[in-house]
Amino acid sequence: MVRFSTIARRFIAGGLLVLGLLSALPVQAGDAAKGKSVFTSECAMCHSNARNGPTILGPTLFGVVGRKAGTVAGFAYSSGMKSAGFAWSDAQLAAYLPSPRALVAGTKMPYGGLKNPTKLADLIAYLDTLK
Amino acid sequence: MRPKSPLMLRLLAFTAAASLGLAGAVRAQSSAVHELPQSLIYEHEQTISELEGLTHHPGAVGVEATKALDLFKRHIAHEQEYILPPLTLLPDLADGKVSQDMAWALEMTDRVRTNQEQIFAEHAAVTDRMNALYVAALQAHDAEAADFAKSAAADSLNDLEILEPTVIMIGDYLRTKLAAKP
Repeated sequence: MVRFSTIARRFIAGGLLVLGLLSALPVQAGDAAKGKSVFTSECAMCHSNARNGPTILGPTLFGVVGRKAGTVAGFAYSSGMKSAGFAWSDAQLAAYLPSPRALVAGTKMPYGGLKNPTKLADLIAYLDTLK
Repeated sequence: MRPKSPLMLRLLAFTAAASLGLAGAVRAQSSAVHELPQSLIYEHEQTISELEGLTHHPGAVGVEATKALDLFKRHIAHEQEYILPPLTLLPDLADGKVSQDMAWALEMTDRVRTNQEQIFAEHAAVTDRMNALYVAALQAHDAEAADFAKSAAADSLNDLEILEPTVIMIGDYLRTKLAAKP
């Protein structure tokens, strides 16, 4: 049991290290204009992009870059997101959006993930403009 | 073949009768196991009916609705198989009634707990599919399809936020209460 928990700790630490390294990698530069169309097709059903926009099924994404995760008032976040402990940066978004539950365990955003790296970069470039 | 002794025949008759009785009990239990809350049966029928209607809409809306219909049918089948039946116990549990004949639900609630990630992935697939329908609906100015997509995505989130955690809690509650019974 002790041995298993040591292995498990090492495994988790390794995973966190990989995630950390991935987060530290520079994010591919995207095209914000194309990103707006990615936002429309991937995010707009559940998320507003407007200043003081409403909470729909998810919190507004206006001002998301730089915002501490899990802090939009009026949205009932999962405990995983509330305790994520980071602010959204381009790198965090690049790590989160392709596979949300891999970065934030227990997030309740039921989204399969944006796997296409070009679309991902474009979307992040667009989210950067929402401020 | 040798003729069987009267004792043997009686034993065989007893075994056959016991088997029939047991089979009946299992049938009775499995019919109880597959009972579902009526409100959810109705909701699912409405969802499928509306989605079937959308498959006849022209262009991309019809195409996306058709893709979604197949996914919804499979998802609903999973829900009806083992996620929804334990919810039929809620009114009695809320009245403080717990009995051994509710123990059938434990296997299902355990399965929901074990399959949480798989269930989440199904909801993610449903939401992605509704997103595709929503985008097609916006492009086609099809308000009915857009409303359906958004509403179905909300239902999917509702399942994750409320329904499945409730099923798991029913299992935990039942297990505790049944263990405490003399």
